[in-house]
Amino acid sequence: MAPALGKRKRRDQISDTEINRESAADDRSVSLQALFRQHFESTFEPLPCTFARPPLVHNIDDKSSDEELESDWDGFPELYEEQVETVHYATSAPSKADVSKDEFKTFMSTRPPSSAIEISSTAKRKQPESTDNDESSTDAANLKKDLALQRLLKESHLLDPQSTLSHSGQNRHKALDLRLQDMGSKTSVFAQQKMPFAQRKGITAKAIEREKLRRRGAQENGIILEKVAKSRKDDSTRKRGIGAPSVGKFQGGMLKLSKKDVAEIEGPKKIARHKR
Amino acid sequence: MATTPQAPLRLSTQKALAHRLILSTLTGRPVRFEQIRPSSLTHTGLAPHEISFLRLLEAVTNGSQFIIGLTGTELLYKPGLITGSAPGSGASGGVIRYELPAECTRGVSYFLIPLCLLAPFSKAPINVLFTGPGVITSATPSGDLSADSVRTAILPLYAQFGISNNIELRILRRSNASTSGRGGAGEVQLIFGHQVRLPKTVHMLNPGRVKKIRGVAYCTGVSASNNARMIEEARGVLNPMTGDTYIFSDVSSAPYVTSIDKSNPNRRRKTGVGFGLSLVAESSTGSLYSADLATPPAGGVPPEDLGRQCAYQLLESISFGGAVSLAAAPTVLTLMAMGSEDVGRLRLGKYVLSSEPIIGLARDLKAFGANGWGVRESTTGLDGDVVVSVVGRGVGNVGRKIA
Repeated sequence: MAPALGKRKRRDQISDTEINRESAADDRSVSLQALFRQHFESTFEPLPCTFARPPLVHNIDDKSSDEELESDWDGFPELYEEQVETVHYATSAPSKADVSKDEFKTFMSTRPPSSAIEISSTAKRKQPESTDNDESSTDAANLKKDLALQRLLKESHLLDPQSTLSHSGQNRHKALDLRLQDMGSKTSVFAQQKMPFAQRKGITAKAIEREKLRRRGAQENGIILEKVAKSRKDDSTRKRGIGAPSVGKFQGGMLKLSKKDVAEIEGPKKIARHKR
Repeated sequence: MATTPQAPLRLSTQKALAHRLILSTLTGRPVRFEQIRPSSLTHTGLAPHEISFLRLLEAVTNGSQFIIGLTGTELLYKPGLITGSAPGSGASGGVIRYELPAECTRGVSYFLIPLCLLAPFSKAPINVLFTGPGVITSATPSGDLSADSVRTAILPLYAQFGISNNIELRILRRSNASTSGRGGAGEVQLIFGHQVRLPKTVHMLNPGRVKKIRGVAYCTGVSASNNARMIEEARGVLNPMTGDTYIFSDVSSAPYVTSIDKSNPNRRRKTGVGFGLSLVAESSTGSLYSADLATPPAGGVPPEDLGRQCAYQLLESISFGGAVSLAAAPTVLTLMAMGSEDVGRLRLGKYVLSSEPIIGLARDLKAFGANGWGVRESTTGLDGDVVVSVVGRGVGNVGRKIA
């Protein structure tokens, strides 16, 4: 379809100039014949080709140079007969990168498109906002430095004299263990789990003895130490005999209930008076 | 329902028949239509698409009756309860399969938009599958929107009324109008699963500025290059206005219909060949303006012309102003009138308000017992828009109230 369109256009141009050419010189009889032929072909159907057509381009170029005001069309390039005119309709096809896949999903899905895209775009925008705010950024930096200092103070005894400020190897594990204990871990990771009972007793006895020694030495030298942390007795659940009552105290063949026991049995008192 | 039966409301001509039937169903007022095309010699009385719409109403309601006069020029409609696609009322597997006959000349949006208006007030979710040789999903010369525009320009407005969940419009098979303009053999499924007691009161006063334009170029049974050519031309018009313009392309093969002639029943023929464009402009405040154009049934329109015209149509729709375009205004105004007894406000362009369908709608609403509209000039903005105040009826979903 495209070449046909192009051809018709070309003929129109020629037929326009044709009228002017009739008044021109007669010596170009061969090209005139070609022109008539083309005019005939444009209105009816193509004639069988019997002779080589003289180049029409020349004439048209001459004409256009004579009458420039007629049109600014300056003819086809030479050998236009062989060239096929192509018309591109989709020259700038929109690239897929223009819209995101999300947009395609929201718009072309079966659901009515919502404003879900805006939400995602605002979520993306939040990140740079937090970084450009200087007050919060300095706060964060200060906190970081503070934490590094705290750690250095706590773990400096582990540091190698030769190495830099970072731990390495076994020391790193030890530092990590210290941090865990700091955060509330009950026992050290490095505490031995299984050992003979006598050995464990020996270790605890030695630890107690060392502690006593330290306290005594401090007392003699007049140094005040931290208070001994009392180990609380775990008496939350009292052992009762089988078949014994689960509340109160059985004493002298009699179950004695304390005030607390009675209160627990009765439960919270409700103050609900309905006067009528 | 056991109240004294009201005398049917008398209305004349077939004008806005579908919308009047919807209002009748929503308000529960029986209605009597007279003088339906009485002077037409060839097509006297109700048209095929109107009969189809009546059958659709019967499918989604329970207890509705309609009596058509002998000549077809009179119609009495007594509405029932809107049940939706409840099991036991014609729905198989929760889906009402609804076939449109081949004589239908209107696009499927003629049925979709009124059905969507009924759906929020239904008792059960509405799930209707439109099939058959009469389903035209594209825009039609009679002014129907394409199914795409219903999805992208009408359905999002329901969210403003608090109706947003579980709404889907599946275009299962596309179809343009066939060569005679009748029928197309497309397939569309509407799922409307959000039923409310009362739609929320809305105040749409700020139209905002158009920030993005989206669209769908569709073609059935013709080369996909038509889509590209439409998109190219439409973008050429719209790109200088908004940077954020994108038109999606949807290519599908033409639907087949089995031929009617008895001599060769196995022969199938293509219908609904053509292409079209649906454009939607969205403003910064969520206002939607749409434009729709498809090839006429006779054909012979190059895609470039169609794309350009559609783009101009969109610009025209935007130029009318208001927070709601002409295509969506009946839907929004009806939902506002059916809302709670509260004043909702809507900013409309002067041209939109003074257009025939909107004035007709105002009269119809008044006839069906709704409150009148208050109209005043908009104080904000430079262009002469109008603010319409609509008081809701406050009755809402009768099915919900009983259940």
